[in-house]
Amino acid sequence: MKRYAYYMSCINESMTKEVDRSIDFWQKDLGLEFVKLHEGTCCGGSNLDYVSPKHFALVNARNIALAEKMGLDLVVSCNTCLMTIRTAKKKLDETPALKKEVNDILKKEGLEYRGTSEVRHLLWVLVDDVGLDTIKAKVTVPLKNYRIAPFYGCHILRPSTVLGRDNPLAPSSLDQLIEALGGQTIPFEHKNRCCGFHTLLVAEEESLNVAAEALEEAINSKADFIVTPCPLCHTVLDGYQSKALKQAHIDSSIPVFHISEMVGLALGYTAKQLGIKRHIVC
Amino acid sequence: MTEIIDQHQEGKRDVTFRVFRFNPQVDSKPYFDDYTISAERGITVLRSLNYIKEHVDATLSFRAFCQAGICGSCGMRVNGISKLACTSQVWDELDKCREPGIIRVEPLRSLPMIKDLIVDMDPLVDKMTRYSNWIDSTMPLADMGKKEFLISEEEFQQYDKATDCILCASCVSECSILRANKEYVSPAVLLKSYRMNVDSRDGIHDLRLAELVKDHGVWDCTHCYRCQESCVKSIPIMEAIHAIREDALESRGPRDTSGAKHAEAFMEDIEKKGKLVEATLPIRTNGVVWTLRNLLPMAMKMIVKRRTPPPPPLVKSAKGIKIFRAMFREMTEHVKQDHLKSHKK
Amino acid sequence: MKPFDIVIVGGGGAGLYAAMEAMKTNPALNIAVLSKVYPNRSHTSAAQGGANAALANKAKDDSVEMHIFDTIKGSDYLADQDAVDVLCSEAPKIIRELENIGTPWSRMEDNTIAQRPFGGAGRPRCCYCADKTGHTILQTLYEQCLRKGVLFFNEYFALNLSVHGSRSRGLIAMNMKTGKVEAFPAKTVIFATGGYAKMYWNRSSNAAGNTGDGQAIAYRAGIPMKDMEFVQFHPTGLRKSGLLVTEGARGEGGYLINKDGERFMARYAKEKMELGPRDLVSRSIETEILEGRGFDSPAGKYIHLDLRHLGADLIKSRLPQIREMSLNFEGVDPIEEPIPIRPTAHYSMGGIDTDNFGRTVMDGVYAAGECACVSVHGANRLGGNSLLDILVFGRIAGHTAAEEAGKFEPGSISEEELRESVEEIRTRMQPSGHYERYGALREELGQTLALNVGIFRESSLLHKGIQDIAELKERFKKVRVFDSSDVFNTNLQQVLELKNMLDLAETVAVGALAREESRGSHTRIDFPVRDDEKWHKHTLATLVDGKAIPGEKPVTMGRYELQERTY
Repeated sequence: MKRYAYYMSCINESMTKEVDRSIDFWQKDLGLEFVKLHEGTCCGGSNLDYVSPKHFALVNARNIALAEKMGLDLVVSCNTCLMTIRTAKKKLDETPALKKEVNDILKKEGLEYRGTSEVRHLLWVLVDDVGLDTIKAKVTVPLKNYRIAPFYGCHILRPSTVLGRDNPLAPSSLDQLIEALGGQTIPFEHKNRCCGFHTLLVAEEESLNVAAEALEEAINSKADFIVTPCPLCHTVLDGYQSKALKQAHIDSSIPVFHISEMVGLALGYTAKQLGIKRHIVC
Repeated sequence: MTEIIDQHQEGKRDVTFRVFRFNPQVDSKPYFDDYTISAERGITVLRSLNYIKEHVDATLSFRAFCQAGICGSCGMRVNGISKLACTSQVWDELDKCREPGIIRVEPLRSLPMIKDLIVDMDPLVDKMTRYSNWIDSTMPLADMGKKEFLISEEEFQQYDKATDCILCASCVSECSILRANKEYVSPAVLLKSYRMNVDSRDGIHDLRLAELVKDHGVWDCTHCYRCQESCVKSIPIMEAIHAIREDALESRGPRDTSGAKHAEAFMEDIEKKGKLVEATLPIRTNGVVWTLRNLLPMAMKMIVKRRTPPPPPLVKSAKGIKIFRAMFREMTEHVKQDHLKSHKK
Repeated sequence: MKPFDIVIVGGGGAGLYAAMEAMKTNPALNIAVLSKVYPNRSHTSAAQGGANAALANKAKDDSVEMHIFDTIKGSDYLADQDAVDVLCSEAPKIIRELENIGTPWSRMEDNTIAQRPFGGAGRPRCCYCADKTGHTILQTLYEQCLRKGVLFFNEYFALNLSVHGSRSRGLIAMNMKTGKVEAFPAKTVIFATGGYAKMYWNRSSNAAGNTGDGQAIAYRAGIPMKDMEFVQFHPTGLRKSGLLVTEGARGEGGYLINKDGERFMARYAKEKMELGPRDLVSRSIETEILEGRGFDSPAGKYIHLDLRHLGADLIKSRLPQIREMSLNFEGVDPIEEPIPIRPTAHYSMGGIDTDNFGRTVMDGVYAAGECACVSVHGANRLGGNSLLDILVFGRIAGHTAAEEAGKFEPGSISEEELRESVEEIRTRMQPSGHYERYGALREELGQTLALNVGIFRESSLLHKGIQDIAELKERFKKVRVFDSSDVFNTNLQQVLELKNMLDLAETVAVGALAREESRGSHTRIDFPVRDDEKWHKHTLATLVDGKAIPGEKPVTMGRYELQERTY
């Protein structure tokens, strides 16, 4: 059994509850144990680091320190949380003064940020730790006959100086996972593009245009569904799909799955169990 | 290493360039032409295009000037990515082809097409003008050319990297928001604006910032990092964008624009609950009217699917919130002290 | 179109400074800048090193006087001493002015503008911004021109001066976006179109567009060219492209190696080896190649610049740019393999003959920057003086034109003249029977120049060069323009640029043949020493009835007597 500290992203506790729920179904099947960090706090989204760089460092040093206390790596299932926490980690590791200032405060809670735990995405754990062969061996309901559009999103790829797992111009980890589960990936130009989430509330029209472009390509490529490793991308591509497509005058729709759901399906769990029925498009 | 030697011995490869063609005088829509040439190791995409123009098809049109990666003329999309043709190695590009042996060459995006690989740069120049991308010197006219400003290494470091920008427009072409709305300020202009705003010689910081926080300005960036990732000079453009936002919050306050309110909400929520209160985020960002008008129909669907975020009282605070809050506030004191110190300076 | 007071041709450092200064001198003037590229693309951006000015920030005992002497000595005493006075006296002011308006100069510890040593200068007086000095100066000037609302006509290709009697009435240019030939009637015209060293084509470090357009237009209008034979070669250009590998590679300890594996500089400069002066190293490399000790390749003969012994760490930390260039343009990683290099034409000292105010012999026509020859560089330009030249004399030309525009009646350009310009282009596009490819001609021009009018010159070689150029000019008449489009016809533009290069190439070769001595960058095997008695003078070339007619002009002397140039 491989153990990890599991970071609970805000969105997975509110709008996309199905992510954590589906992981709970299959984690043991793949020899994984995720220990939920109930003490963890919001990572600050992509905003806190410029609103207040020091609070940003404190909050995320603490999130990582909680995992370090257990001697575990921190696993994240939201792209932006991943990018944000890794950005903070990079800054802390490169700036001894900041690290010291933060640790002086963390002492109050008996915590210390040392920089010993890695911060990794659920997708990377599946592909790199569990391994594609193991996953293949565990599949009971292969996703064959499905044409799947892999949508990586931004913050699992960029900035590459912070993420570094995949080639940001030609990512492959999600494609590999899909294929290990028996699915067929389609060439998808928008695979490493943006979903528009982060401007939804500030520049909605622009955001939806961005989303519509990706949806349109998937629809035109006759994909059966889109799969994404990020609940924020999912929220736009699924939740805002009808609005985005309407704005772009496209009369069609396409389901969007989380990777956790796709893994669950291939391992034999039902759509109902996994919470897929909660999607707006399904 | 063995691979390098093999390539050296191999010497040449047949490469097909699939080039975007469009001549507005005769073509109703763009098409692609294939040119297959024998390309030796070490040859760049630009030299290949030059070869094609000289020996195969003189009508193929593209811009090129210094051919050494400093003038920024030959920005184009090679295998889908915006970059300079003059610094792109053909043999490297061969590894990135979607179809083996075929390198796709297309014009930059989000700028008006003129012909083949040539796009109109005027919109970019217009935006540089709109956002006052210049220093309005505080040196009195009488002292011009007679005195020097004294600039600290610390200040120089703030804009050193930003002044590497050669306006090749690769970031403009890759920008997600610009694709969605051509009015958007664009990454290169944000970078230049940042560079001007941190320069102590400049006297119009406030004016420039006021323009930047308007619609289609700095708050519209969606943090996709495509600009930074495609920058041919490896400039951390997103850091510049973040710095403008930080400056906007500090200089203009957290209630200034919807973008500022949105950003500030994260700070509030984390301090209060350690978690984001998503249900009220739209209202806090854009007010009740906007929220009802824009999100009500969707909210209905979400209620049916039980996807709505919980209302504020039901958002569970993170475990151990009390001690977290104390630590958060301690850091707030640190920040206040920092500000006092920097203002004294 | 309403007549302009000033039309500036060229949007590099000289053109933009001229525009800025002209607006400052008289804000009421109607000024336009025409540029065949967006101004920020201009070749000024490629200058890495810096600009000299005796600010005395670094060496407290530096002075304008020392700068003047270094420049005159560097020119091999061919520079006009009053012009050098202006260049060096204005330098501190211009560097500070640029600083005041935003150029991000590197800084000293005391926060003043940083200065570093440069070849041929007695004191560290080269002001710089890391290795991007030209780029940041160009950006600053472009920004300021946008601020002041300078009227730009970007991507306009200049074709002809409209000349009536002894004066110009303006300029005729082609709008690249539409292909339309347009008239720019103007009281004054300032040429600031950069150098002509690209005529050496693949044996030049210059941008593809440094084709001497302004010089060629002025030349065809009857304005004399001065000292055209002086072309500076840089020792280490990349084999395929001619692009520059900066001196840093040798400064860090790189070796020059011939095909026999010898560090051949031992033969030419036992003490200094690879670090000898530029002209000596260039001549040494060329000698190795000429005597058969170079490597051979389809892209031409070359020798090796070997950095491997410096080790991967040093190469990565100290020479990252050189490694990147070598990878990008030769596909060679200097950590694994030597870099193929050969000398490359780098800078043109000659140009449009002007006085110290930028005036040419034709009323209302001015020139500044590399396209002009004032002369401040004489037979050899010092590093750090080229950026300075474009700034100082760009500014002066702008000021002079603004002051003098009022003297001239507004001109007008007739439809007839425009038609002629169009007609010339049209005939080019309708070839019949046998035709020539401009690409081949361009390459042949570069080859013959490098071979016969290159680093080593000699009577028979120069005769061969002149003959080759004449033949190329004949063949040029049969060049075919395949692109019939009006929109952005780069095929046509490149053909017209070739025409400009061919016209100027003749003046370079003729000047080189006439000058029977060796001085600065001009080395005659058959006349190996400087001959002050006969040749301490400028050469002129004027177009009369389609031929370059040689002339001469005295050098203005001043405080400094002729001396032997030794370092």
